[in-house]
Amino acid sequence: MQKSIIFSIFALLIGLIACDQNTPEPPEEVGDLVQYPYEPKSYTIKKPDHYPAVPVPADNPMTYDGVQLGRRLFYDPMLSGNNTMSCASCHLPSKNFTDGKQFSTGIDGIQGKRSSMSLMNIAYIVPDNPADTFLLFWDGRTKSLESQALLPVEDPIEMHHQWINVVEDFKNHPDYPVLFRKAFGITDRSQITKELAAKAIAQFERILIGSGTSVYDRYINGEISLLQDEALDGKLMFFDEGNPFGLPDAECFHCHGTGTLSGRGFFNNGLDPFDLIVDKGRENVTGNPNDRGKFRATTLMNIELSAPYMHDGRFSNLNQVVDHYLFDAHPTPYANPNLNLLINKRQIYTSYHRTALVEFLKTLTDTAFINNPDIQSPF
Amino acid sequence: MRYIKFLFSLSALFFFAACDKHHEDGETTELTITFKALYNGQPLEKNKLYDYSTYKVEFSQFNTYLSDIKLLQGTAETLVSEIEWVNFTPDFATDNKAVDVTIKATVPAGDYTGIKMGYGVKPSLNAKRPSDFAAGHPLNKEVEFWPGWKSYIFNKIEGQGDSDNDGTPDIFMLFHCGSDKVYREYSFEQEIHVHDATSSLTVEFDLKNLFYTSNTWWDLTASGNQATSNLATDVRVAQILMDNFDEATTVK
Repeated sequence: MQKSIIFSIFALLIGLIACDQNTPEPPEEVGDLVQYPYEPKSYTIKKPDHYPAVPVPADNPMTYDGVQLGRRLFYDPMLSGNNTMSCASCHLPSKNFTDGKQFSTGIDGIQGKRSSMSLMNIAYIVPDNPADTFLLFWDGRTKSLESQALLPVEDPIEMHHQWINVVEDFKNHPDYPVLFRKAFGITDRSQITKELAAKAIAQFERILIGSGTSVYDRYINGEISLLQDEALDGKLMFFDEGNPFGLPDAECFHCHGTGTLSGRGFFNNGLDPFDLIVDKGRENVTGNPNDRGKFRATTLMNIELSAPYMHDGRFSNLNQVVDHYLFDAHPTPYANPNLNLLINKRQIYTSYHRTALVEFLKTLTDTAFINNPDIQSPF
Repeated sequence: MRYIKFLFSLSALFFFAACDKHHEDGETTELTITFKALYNGQPLEKNKLYDYSTYKVEFSQFNTYLSDIKLLQGTAETLVSEIEWVNFTPDFATDNKAVDVTIKATVPAGDYTGIKMGYGVKPSLNAKRPSDFAAGHPLNKEVEFWPGWKSYIFNKIEGQGDSDNDGTPDIFMLFHCGSDKVYREYSFEQEIHVHDATSSLTVEFDLKNLFYTSNTWWDLTASGNQATSNLATDVRVAQILMDNFDEATTVK
């Protein structure tokens, strides 16, 4: 009897010890920020029901304080060399997170060679598989929002600063150390890094999701039953569904997807004759000559508010954009076959088709998104 | 006494359960399946000119969904994967070679007699939409769903050809198969030995065999033969291609 009791206690102890090895006591926190609570609250990204789930990387979970820190960093000019320019300088909410200019200008007055991209629905631009690792920017030269956020700060034609100095400024700032503590649980201001800053900015950028209240969103959700005639015709052409109604296919959705109409591939859309392409785009990233002149297809949600258009901002309005595809695109050897098909049958298109497509594109306007108080400057 | 026995049993169970986490389950092992894209028995390359009938074609995109990949043991079936999106032509590539796509699955060790695959998205999953799936799921992809069909695009085979060999493309191949009517399942007999984590299997899709059957080329110059129809009701081309996937597939 006594032996049984001893054996049971012994076995129980071993069991407990075996488990205990996997759950060591957390070390006592030391540092100048431990007095501030670290109570991470998960942040649920708001999205319309018909949008896909928003991808979030496992190593940067969304938290309320992470998003708030990212929002502040996004709008804070202290990330630039002369305290005049923030991420938002080129990505204004009122312009659907572009800057409305053909080329953006950095703190030294130097103009870049590409137009600012919209950040709307940018969270959806993620790799489909391990081989597809480089997707962000016009040419897809970075892998993730976290790695993208690091680049403009040190780019001499953009914010022209140095992260080492930015991080030092964070450490000496009256607010930021505590905000980093709340967002990431650091215990001492010395633990602030550029990578944490980039993670916070990425968290903020992941909440830049359309509201789902555009005319098109409400139409596909069944909240309104009809689009106006021209817009409906444009929609049918956009999605290649107009044949029964005598409308030609415009082949748009192949590159611009469905739902959020977020493109994720890279395409040469025939802006210039192949031999005259100056900005090689994707080729500079992959080294593959077949990628010459390829750039990422952007989301078309809020496209009306995202002018000017194309990687070099060459088109100032949607009529010009649609005219390019229907009437003016140059055939290129490595274009998507959908584009060459479009070029091959361009004689069937009329000005009505252009008008219809433009009217459809206007149904994608989502003013609730750009006016969302959660994504405005906190300053 | 009964209480002590119970406590002893509970303790022993707890002890073994705690320690068991560190042991491999001896009855299952890892299987690697590699999918390859070919043309005429050679690895597919994007934008490479291939002989096709009396002219040349080139391919720019090839991807496909596969459903219910199962290992066969006589009439018994072991599920390897419910759904995979196999993309041989990813956006990031430093050259034009189609990539091999590898999946790994844990399956019961044993000797299998074949493999069965569903080509496309099986009807129960095809009834859903991208927004029904979590980020990262193969069916979360908006660009692989066509609202007009209310269907996923089961596969995309795109390219162009030059029927008069004048150097200017005049054939634009845009084969996007979709809708439940064209979903196909094919089984392949093959001895598959799965005994340890080095166990592997290769599945090859040869695009030539999609377009060249019974010694006859699919006529890309004929009207309506260069693309699948936009109409969900017109699955003529899609059915032919999906039927040909059987012959285009080799399991090694």
